[in-house]
Amino acid sequence: MKLLQLQSHHNSTISSDTGTARVSPSGSATDSGAGSVHVTVLSDRCAGCQECVVRCPTGALSMELKSWTAVAQDSLCVGCRQCVRTCPFSAITVDGPVLVAPRVEVSHHVVKELQGNVEETRSGFLNWSDVLAEAQRCLRCPDPTCVRGCPVHNDIPSFIAAVRDGDLDEAHSVLRRTSFLPDVCSRVCDQAVQCEGACTWSLAGGTPVAIGAIERFITDNAAVPPIVQENARGAGISVAVVGSGPAGIGAAFELVRSGAQVTVYEKETELGGLLHNGIPGFTLPRQISHRPWQQLKDAGVRCVEGTTVTSEFVESLRAHYDAVLLAHGAGAALRLPVTGGDLKGVVDATTFLNEALAALTQSKRFPLFDGLEDGRREDGPTVLVLGAGNTAMDVARLARRLGAKAICLDWMDERFAPVRPDELSEARDEGVDIRFRRTLIRLEGDDGRVRFAHIAPTTQARADKLPKVTQGSEAIEAVDLVVMAMGYRIDSSFTGLAPTKPMDRTVPDLVDRQFQASGLLAGGAPAFARHRPVGRLSLAREIGRLGAALGTEDGIYVAGDALIGPSSVVEAMAQGRRAAEAIMSRRAHAVSLAGEVKVATVLIAYDSAGGHTKTLALELAEDLEHHGAVVTAKRLCDIGLREIVAADLFVVGTWVQGYVVAGVGPARSTRGTVAALPNLGATKIATFCSYGVHPRATLRKLRNQLQEHGAHVVAEQAFSSQLNDRSAVAAFSSQLFDMVKPVPRTDDVIALLAKSSQLSSLQNAVEELAHFVNGHEMLLEQSRTRLIEQLALHPDDEGLRRALETIEQTLRALAPSVEV
Amino acid sequence: MELRERPSETSSTTSSPPPDPVAVAIRLRPAIRTGVQERFAPSDPPKGWDISKYPKVARVLRSRKFQFAMILPNQIIFWLVIILGLLGTVVPGLNFGTAITWYIWFCLVFVMMVVVGRAWCVMCPFGGFAEWIQRRAFWRRSQRRLGLGRKLPEPIARYGFLISVGSFIVLTWIEEYFNIAGPGNPWATSFMVLGIVASALLFFLVFERRTFCRYFCPLTALIGTVGAMGSVAGYRTKDRELCLSCATKDCMRGGVNGYGCPWYTWPGSADSNLACGLCSECYKGCPEGNIGLFLQKPMTSVVAPTRRRADVAWAVALLWGLVVFQQVNATTLYATIDGWLNKVTGLAYPNPIDYLGTIGLVALGTAGLVKLAQRYLLKEDVAASTTVYQASDLEPSVTAGAQASSSFSRASVVSSIPVYASEASTNLLNPKGSTATSESFITKTSSFRLVFMPLMYGLIPVVGADYFARQLPKFFKHASRIIPDVGNLFGAGGVHSTLYNTRLLSNPGIVAVQVVVIVLGMLASIWATWKIADRELLPISQRPAVTRIVTLALPLLFGIGAAFLYVIMHAAS
Repeated sequence: MKLLQLQSHHNSTISSDTGTARVSPSGSATDSGAGSVHVTVLSDRCAGCQECVVRCPTGALSMELKSWTAVAQDSLCVGCRQCVRTCPFSAITVDGPVLVAPRVEVSHHVVKELQGNVEETRSGFLNWSDVLAEAQRCLRCPDPTCVRGCPVHNDIPSFIAAVRDGDLDEAHSVLRRTSFLPDVCSRVCDQAVQCEGACTWSLAGGTPVAIGAIERFITDNAAVPPIVQENARGAGISVAVVGSGPAGIGAAFELVRSGAQVTVYEKETELGGLLHNGIPGFTLPRQISHRPWQQLKDAGVRCVEGTTVTSEFVESLRAHYDAVLLAHGAGAALRLPVTGGDLKGVVDATTFLNEALAALTQSKRFPLFDGLEDGRREDGPTVLVLGAGNTAMDVARLARRLGAKAICLDWMDERFAPVRPDELSEARDEGVDIRFRRTLIRLEGDDGRVRFAHIAPTTQARADKLPKVTQGSEAIEAVDLVVMAMGYRIDSSFTGLAPTKPMDRTVPDLVDRQFQASGLLAGGAPAFARHRPVGRLSLAREIGRLGAALGTEDGIYVAGDALIGPSSVVEAMAQGRRAAEAIMSRRAHAVSLAGEVKVATVLIAYDSAGGHTKTLALELAEDLEHHGAVVTAKRLCDIGLREIVAADLFVVGTWVQGYVVAGVGPARSTRGTVAALPNLGATKIATFCSYGVHPRATLRKLRNQLQEHGAHVVAEQAFSSQLNDRSAVAAFSSQLFDMVKPVPRTDDVIALLAKSSQLSSLQNAVEELAHFVNGHEMLLEQSRTRLIEQLALHPDDEGLRRALETIEQTLRALAPSVEV
Repeated sequence: MELRERPSETSSTTSSPPPDPVAVAIRLRPAIRTGVQERFAPSDPPKGWDISKYPKVARVLRSRKFQFAMILPNQIIFWLVIILGLLGTVVPGLNFGTAITWYIWFCLVFVMMVVVGRAWCVMCPFGGFAEWIQRRAFWRRSQRRLGLGRKLPEPIARYGFLISVGSFIVLTWIEEYFNIAGPGNPWATSFMVLGIVASALLFFLVFERRTFCRYFCPLTALIGTVGAMGSVAGYRTKDRELCLSCATKDCMRGGVNGYGCPWYTWPGSADSNLACGLCSECYKGCPEGNIGLFLQKPMTSVVAPTRRRADVAWAVALLWGLVVFQQVNATTLYATIDGWLNKVTGLAYPNPIDYLGTIGLVALGTAGLVKLAQRYLLKEDVAASTTVYQASDLEPSVTAGAQASSSFSRASVVSSIPVYASEASTNLLNPKGSTATSESFITKTSSFRLVFMPLMYGLIPVVGADYFARQLPKFFKHASRIIPDVGNLFGAGGVHSTLYNTRLLSNPGIVAVQVVVIVLGMLASIWATWKIADRELLPISQRPAVTRIVTLALPLLFGIGAAFLYVIMHAAS
């Protein structure tokens, strides 16, 4: 493809994003060399489903009517191969290079004087021309895979488009829709296995758009707006958040901007959790890590610092708040069980980080080098760091800043290590001795203090195989301090309270239709993502995010590392936001401040063989809809966590399989699907079955199985397929509706009256109110008393007068004999 | 409540939760719908002819064990054929394996083709066996497959069903050379069946889905083309609009409950039963229940499809050549030529030169006749044209976050960097109409193809009838042997039993039936070409009356030729 150079960009009136990826600041050079792209549509297999046509970022694909196949225009193709990944029948191939300008890299600076230096080591784009050139590389894909790669689902194409428009405030507001920590995430995210790894250029084998650096440019240069209340979804809800790390921040932000009352309990004296005490200032400057809590406090979040929350305390919180969110993180450091592990001078990463950060930023004394032999402290003691992950790098780099020598040991092969490559190279630049394929055998002490480490080489053939220790070739290293930084696990003291065991994030043997259709899963393990399967990783993160929405029946939710084990800042924030969403949608009052009546959503999932169960499910759906619920009825095999999380009530219908003499139970297919479901947390579940002869223990067996998944079965009913009893279905649906119907309170009646007095005619208002209080008529009397009290205080209030009139009319309409 | 990721409006109401954040970022282009209704109207089956509307049928189709149950009996029979061929009696007529294969099965396959379509494919034990292994499951929907899962490379796949015609020609040569179908020595049948099973397994382990069945199976082109006469339209969409707006296409990619179509057919755009293996995976997989199993009037898939495929047209011509060879090879003239050729080349019957020569001559002769007719009939200004539709707007259909839609004029003002544009963007600025074309063996268009392709579709019935008639003698002469053959397995029955020597029809009777079959096929072809000419040939013809005559003459010529050859064959024997 010949790249034409337009002499002046003022002449170009490119008004569409199409084709912009080829716009190259350095002339004809592209990401993978020059050459032409050729698209071949295999017309034999192309079924004309248009999956490629609707997703092509450049409009290079169109449809030929007679053969009903896709046709491609080579001159428009940029070689991103999204069509190849999304074609269900592998009927399209693209040959030729990836036509995108080379990525504009952000420069790194090597810190010359390390000792005592806590300045940030990385910088973002420094000028507009660089960031614009990089922003031009974004294709603005119609189905952006980067958004699925981002754990919090930032609308990446939109904020990049806003940057191209030169509108940083707009870009920031796009980010703010989904993320409260763009300034933090742009610094600490491992973009290579998230958004950038999932960028269409990365999936095509090229270099992705520098999404992280663009995000950082926005947050470095746009003013951060204060938190304002955007809606009243959370009005009247009070939530206690345990832990002030990223998950707590995400939840508090989401809740406070919806008008909820939030109280945060933090065991440390400073807020921020991992942001504050886990990430050193040279990666995340203090003014950035302090910003979220300053803003949240300003917005009215109540903070209780220095309070350790025990499980008894959680019980009492539960009594005082509408919901409790456990976001206490995964704080238990892993320790390597080696001989000498209990010697003095062997510490875990948390201890080291706390002391080192205090020493560097608050000029406190660093106590861990105390008791060293004469001279060793001055000459630069040797710190042996076990592990070579991101935490280990932080430890080692802090040790260097404290004037120590640092050695990192990791038994994995460097090729398979989960550390960020830039982190690794920066650490090496700073003089950290990183040794992969080495493991600690034992520690030897002197006077009770660690003195020597015995180190053995290992070999690791594949990423999924554990390394093997080679015997007989040990080396001895003199060490002064050993820091175990192999990782963390969830502290077990809260597990009894949590609605679920820590979530298993492995992608189950179920397809996710949307992820599959986007082509992200077909992208494999791109080189830019360090050959890690970025699609499957993204899907696993999505499962974790949905899992945060499942709480216990009595309103305890878990998010962040506390839910899924050690993960990342952005994942924790995403889960915190999702949990906050769930808290608000579950706990929303029957009538919002804007006067809208909450509608219950019901998901009916059925397994049907002869059609009886399906008929029952559809009749139930019809009845529930008639009551006023929003109902979805689907086959059990077609539903996933996404649907379950969105429902107030989940109804499972099955048929009775087996022979009465040999034992019957729920249909085998039902049992199979239920077994594949993740933990269902607080989801209310009702079950029913259709039977021919006798259901026997079918419903009990189903209940037991659902309870194993943490579910709370609230109702069950067996229907005879012979009787075809419509009234039994009607009774069951009434029973179910009563369970999900928002329970009205006097407040709700007043809120509804306030709204109706502004909007509708008296007759309409009376009807609406009568419908609303159906079954709770005593509320009318109570509300009337309250209105009369208020009217006594504000005798001139027309709205109150009108409300009182409405309520009295309604009382008369409902019970004509009552004298009002 | 539909939980689909669609461009959804950013909700500003206070009670409903905001939409899923991913959904907000999705801005799919609108699917092209221009001309869809007219494009598919002729080939769409009548709305009410969906047999899955009957709960009992639906229950069977929804069961994951449906296809397994269809395959299992045939699986047993064909492993029996293999074993009996190797271990049973060497008398071909007495061996149950050879008898059931050549006297009964081959005939039945043809009946199923004509009546249903790909009925055999749904129960085929060869593909079925390999598929069990590929899926690591008999009927379960598993997500882990065995094998490499390669895609058949485009340079091969572009020839579509012609690959299958090639393998059918090779297999027929082998069958003639070893006299397998005669039937000859039962072990030959065993090895042939084993060979098919082994090659199916090999292809299933190397390639994804039913690449073997779709491209390489020797019978797939024959079943596909002749099956177009069948009255089962296959699995089709109930509401095409729903399919076009479906964002996930579980029927093609595979869903929780069904595999993606193993045959590479999309119910949303199927316009014939050509490549529908009737396996019901799409029916099981569609989360909307938008797929039905439809019946159609016989011959619909011959007459109605808007898309004429070149591979199918050439397959009909070549299959016609092959069946003519099988008739001609019984004549004395052929024997003389073959004998002479074998003496010269040192080869044995069937000499590849006259074998391929006959097939090629008949196929090319047919094409030559059409070429002649096309020169004489076609309007001079008729050019092969294609209509290309572009996704209506190049700007993605932004419904959410309209404020986020970018315009580059502002960027270029803010930016101080030089901007380079490619051909692509300049093309966009000066739209001169789309230059997109698809030039491949199957889709390219020419004046010759405008006439050749519809006419070849029209000849499908007479070619199919000829194949069927060719199988009849074995059936009428020996079908009853199957009973003593079964007895023989248990030590009863033999070559002297009455049933072994009973014929259902005498030789003249058989010829009479053959001629009747051919005439029926010919009449069907005449009707089909008449209908096809109405829609596709008369509008582009400069001499309508002569066009009518030519389109009638071709099926007549084929039919009379085939019938004549049967009479000659009888005379020769």
